[in-house]
Amino acid sequence: MEHYLIRARSVTYAQRMQRVLDRGGIGSRIFRAPRALTDLGCAYVLRLASGDLQQALLILHRESLDPVQIFLFQRGMYREVEA
Amino acid sequence: MIYFDSAATTLQKPPAVAAAMQEAMDSMSSPGRGGYPAAMLAAETAFQCRSELAELFGVSDPARVAFTLNATHALNLANKSLVPPGGRVVLSGYEHNAVTRPLTALGAEMAVAEAPLFQEAAVAAAFDRLVTPGTHAVICNHVSNVFGFIQPVEAVAAICRERGIPLIVDASQSAGILPLDLEGLGVAFAAMPGHKGLYGPQGTGVLLCGGERAARPLLEGGTGSLSLQQTMPDFLPDRLEAGTHNMPGIAGLLAGVRYVRQRSGEAICGHERRLALLAAEGLREIPGVRVFSLSGLRDQAGVLSFLPEGRDAEALGDALGEQGIAVRAGFHCAPLAHRSAGTLDTGTVRLSFSDFNTQEEVYRFLTVLRRLLR
Repeated sequence: MEHYLIRARSVTYAQRMQRVLDRGGIGSRIFRAPRALTDLGCAYVLRLASGDLQQALLILHRESLDPVQIFLFQRGMYREVEA
Repeated sequence: MIYFDSAATTLQKPPAVAAAMQEAMDSMSSPGRGGYPAAMLAAETAFQCRSELAELFGVSDPARVAFTLNATHALNLANKSLVPPGGRVVLSGYEHNAVTRPLTALGAEMAVAEAPLFQEAAVAAAFDRLVTPGTHAVICNHVSNVFGFIQPVEAVAAICRERGIPLIVDASQSAGILPLDLEGLGVAFAAMPGHKGLYGPQGTGVLLCGGERAARPLLEGGTGSLSLQQTMPDFLPDRLEAGTHNMPGIAGLLAGVRYVRQRSGEAICGHERRLALLAAEGLREIPGVRVFSLSGLRDQAGVLSFLPEGRDAEALGDALGEQGIAVRAGFHCAPLAHRSAGTLDTGTVRLSFSDFNTQEEVYRFLTVLRRLLR
């Protein structure tokens, strides 16, 4: 199923992002980033429904919590996309 | 036992603290080290603890709440982040060895803002004179660990803001009882133990960071982030938290912080001050006992020093201990404070109270002391 992963700097930032999104009515799930998505290793990502990305990015930007990277999962693979 | 040594560590804790620690040992692994439930539960607990501490101390970003081993560790981080070898520091006359020893190791030039006990205005005036361009940091403890003197950190912070000098607050004796608004005051770092007025377990401490960039690690190692990079992450709290977290400690600290927030620092401080005032009044009635306190316990928290004329403070502390009353005698790891108060030759006997002490315990102490001093 199509969805987005947004990468956080650390688990603490992922948790901050999740709290902020929760308050904005956007659900997310935190998990470890797949290896292929992290060039520096060990990171956490939030999974978002595809329709939530733009609003999520607005909310996160307002809180100075912009993600490090954004990936779209489509047709069985991840691809980095621009914010 | 009657325990009057809470300035060292609070011995009696809310029952929820030990329960939370046990639960952590049974169910939590390491935060930031996995996505499985035990790791995520640990991450959630750590984040919740950071968040509640951030709310309590006016920090807008929980990531700027770093866990440490104790206040000494936190003070070392703060000092060594801001003070270069040989740098200039202005500090109050009531600082602990946790401040002065790291500064000595750095070869820092220490300008002491000397002022008499319980004279807030004199403290502020002394800082005003000494905080000059070229000062790398100002350090002021909020409450003296020896005398309970509440120092005017708000006034000192205003001086530092005006002159653009970073301020480190040692909140070891005030955290949990006196308000501290880190961002409102513009404080660069505030260090505190988790195991005193926040009622967490020993082995916990906190460094609140006013900004993202200034903090420099004392330890390097794994953080669960950017693992392929061989330098420490440049973001908090990871930058300061190498190695496995003390999750039972953090879970216990969270329970302690919740107790403090539910009770309110104001209520706890009021209780401790009432006990200290009761003790001060009782001590003043004993001939030959010098009590370090102003009338009505002005500018003083629930820490009280006294000195019996012609008696050795340590010997009296031992004698009280044999009677089941735990106090701290001697120099309290704070020779600078004793020098400022004129007690460097003798030391003092210190009583320090917690939310779990009672008036009856103070009466019992006074009765025993009168007998010992006869």
